[in-house]
Amino acid sequence: MLEPPGSEAMLSGSALQQTRGRLLPVLAVLLTCLAVVGIAPYLLDTYSVNVLTRSLLYACVALTVDMLWGYMGILTFGQSAFFAAGAYSAGLFFTHSGFGPGTALAALAMGILAAIAMAVIVGWLAFWHGVSELYASVITLVLPIVCTQLLYSGGAFTGSSSGLSGFESIDLSVEAWFWTAGTLLATLTAAAWVFVSSDAGQVLVAIRENEQRCQYLGLDTPRLKILLFVACAVVCAITGYVFACYSMVVSPELAGFVFGTELVIYTVLGGRATLIGPVLATIAVDYESAQLSGDYPFVWKLILGSVFVVVIVAFPRGLLPFVGDLLRRATAAWRGSPRASTADLPIIDVLDPAEAIGTSAGSGAALRLEGVAKHFGSLKVLDGITLTAGAGELVSLVGPNGAGKTTLMRCIADGLERSSGRIEVNGHDIGRSPPEFCVRLGVGRKFQTANVFNTLTVAECLRIARARLDRPSVFSRSRLIRLPPAAYRTLVATGLDQKLDSPAGILSHGLKQALELTMVLALEARVILLDEPTAGLTKEERAVIGSILKDLVKVDGLCVLLVEHDLDFVRQISSRVVVLHQGKILLDGSVDEVVESHLVKSIYSGAGHQAGPT
Amino acid sequence: MVAQLLDVVSTAAILYAVAAGLLLVFGVMKIINFAHGALLTVGSYAAVVAGQYGLNPWLALPVAAAVGALLGIVIEYFVVRPLYARPLDAILATWGLGIVIGQLLTISFGRGVHFSEPPLRGVVDILAVDYSRYRLALIGVAVVIGVGISALLSRTRLGLDTRAVIMNEDLARGIGINSGRVRFITFAVGSSLAAAAGMLITPLSSVDPNMGTPWLVNAFMLVLVSGSSLVSLAIACVVLGGAQVLVSSYVSPILGGLTIAVLAAIILRVRPQGFAHA
Repeated sequence: MLEPPGSEAMLSGSALQQTRGRLLPVLAVLLTCLAVVGIAPYLLDTYSVNVLTRSLLYACVALTVDMLWGYMGILTFGQSAFFAAGAYSAGLFFTHSGFGPGTALAALAMGILAAIAMAVIVGWLAFWHGVSELYASVITLVLPIVCTQLLYSGGAFTGSSSGLSGFESIDLSVEAWFWTAGTLLATLTAAAWVFVSSDAGQVLVAIRENEQRCQYLGLDTPRLKILLFVACAVVCAITGYVFACYSMVVSPELAGFVFGTELVIYTVLGGRATLIGPVLATIAVDYESAQLSGDYPFVWKLILGSVFVVVIVAFPRGLLPFVGDLLRRATAAWRGSPRASTADLPIIDVLDPAEAIGTSAGSGAALRLEGVAKHFGSLKVLDGITLTAGAGELVSLVGPNGAGKTTLMRCIADGLERSSGRIEVNGHDIGRSPPEFCVRLGVGRKFQTANVFNTLTVAECLRIARARLDRPSVFSRSRLIRLPPAAYRTLVATGLDQKLDSPAGILSHGLKQALELTMVLALEARVILLDEPTAGLTKEERAVIGSILKDLVKVDGLCVLLVEHDLDFVRQISSRVVVLHQGKILLDGSVDEVVESHLVKSIYSGAGHQAGPT
Repeated sequence: MVAQLLDVVSTAAILYAVAAGLLLVFGVMKIINFAHGALLTVGSYAAVVAGQYGLNPWLALPVAAAVGALLGIVIEYFVVRPLYARPLDAILATWGLGIVIGQLLTISFGRGVHFSEPPLRGVVDILAVDYSRYRLALIGVAVVIGVGISALLSRTRLGLDTRAVIMNEDLARGIGINSGRVRFITFAVGSSLAAAAGMLITPLSSVDPNMGTPWLVNAFMLVLVSGSSLVSLAIACVVLGGAQVLVSSYVSPILGGLTIAVLAAIILRVRPQGFAHA
């Protein structure tokens, strides 16, 4: 979305070179694979070539299972249905309208359209806010069952249980079909590889790791899931179309959930999130099935089922990573220690405040709440909260545990949370919008317990935080991370800039908190919600955060809403203090007014005690 | 009209018997036992074998239940327990076990269809309608299963421990409840119920190695819309089972077979907690 600023021409150039250097090996491997595909039919007997054609096509479908499940975390049993959509489209057109160039194209288009329609319906059902992982899988399980039954009930039109056969189709030799399938698989795998190792591919992993954090970084995760789901459905439909043209038989089993689960089994065996693993496993297992199932049909399936169970229990990552580890260990002695490379280190680029385009200041106050209430049944957690905060204000929310502070933060960051009342951010009503929309209006929320992507590095976490504004490339991995000044200052002040390559999961508690704060600031939000950002920090860390917060207000003119228990800390940094008690605003005033008030002391220490706050 | 009403009630009863074990395992262990369908099939074959040995058909019930419990013990120990921390993998592993069990049955009994003797024959006259005595008996069996599990949960020490694990496993362990034992027993009881249900449905359907899958899918959907409550499960069985009967008789049997799965999916989309209380 963003034009790279002119001053970064040199940096962009080097980033581009990076891309070329990364794509070259992929291209080399792709060409090698294509060469193997080209030669194979001359070395194998016709029967094997014929069987392998089917295996190669199945592997294309297994690839989509790995994309969805391995990378994005959606366990899908329904890819068979999309495959069947393409296959049956060919079968139906060629059977009922006859074969010709026109019908061939129409059948392909129809198959793709049907798959898209199915994927959109499934996506609407399965991916929405607050849905459980299991439910999404259930929907993908229902899809093939419904499709199979519809094919069964189609009578002569769909050929019912025996399917359609004997239709005329594209006339190619056995070898030519093998080349077609092989080229399709090699190209798709290479494309998938480039995609998952790009910045956009990292977003998939981030969604798998922590979907909630992604939403509060402004990413519309249900939409992204549906997009990938639809793209994978199209791939399956095209593959299914090729399958029908080559085999000239389509049967309801193609849509079935048994085939759907077999694809999941191949993916597990090969290794989730490896792309190559599921592809190799599918080819090996399907080819062997064809060889052995003639002689030992039940024993073969028995062995397969047993191996599947053993792999899940003992080698959860699958066979390819297991073999890979063994090879690496064996070759480690030769190669010595891995070379340390600085070439891949990320480069941070600080945005000019004028370039920061996150959200416009808008009209009106940065944050305005009117009569906001939240209740669970008859229990009122928040009641009639009316509050206005402007740019350049640091408003501290204090009050005992259970006063409703965190709930209030939740209501501001997610329009679906409150029971009644009105919330405006930069003059815009947030209505009933989900968190990612509130981010667009300019709300950034830091959670009470550090909420980062544990398996991603610090730099990758920051890039995900920037994904909404700096649209990630689907081809390449950029070294450049553009951060607004506030985020950059935080990065440097907390020492995180020295740890860009560390996985977030191994950072200390204080650094995790700092990383999440930096991520929130990278959103270029105007209203920052911080839920106890200093809880569990050392005195020094706390002082650093304190001065960062002061700068956010003074230098960047942000509106900061802070939940904090330490009244000394509050006194040092706040411009205003709001006291919440039992879901209502009790006091709203200057620091001195509130902190010195007897009311606050009595609330904090409980009725009947005269002691001051701790 | 009366016949249809009885169909609805007895269909709900059968679904309840089939889904109860799955619900128990889901409630306690938070995993869906995808081997449930295969265990059900094992129970059906136990009934067939018992029939071949000339056993009283009712005696097939304890035989099936015992075989199911034994299999459940083995599965829990070797497969489910190591996957405690990976619930989605546990689902896949039990599906793999389902394949293994199905193939073992195919190797032992062939792919052909078997039948077994119903424990009860004939019809009773209810309000001028002749209705199958066996289907009526199944209503009673379902009630016994429901009341039995409830009594076990509410009247025994083990039941108390089990309810504690259902509500908050970490806390239950913290106060000294052996949650591993609770899980072990639950899985054995759930598997045993699956096999017993398999025996109960044999007189109504033919027996073949793949018969479990459609039952599994329906039971699975019913459990998902029920949360972990036996009462919600009963409601779900009556509502969705009733819809299945109506669609099958007025629209088409094939669509009837899909009714439960499709309706459950839509119910969960509109109301994620399904038939359970909020």
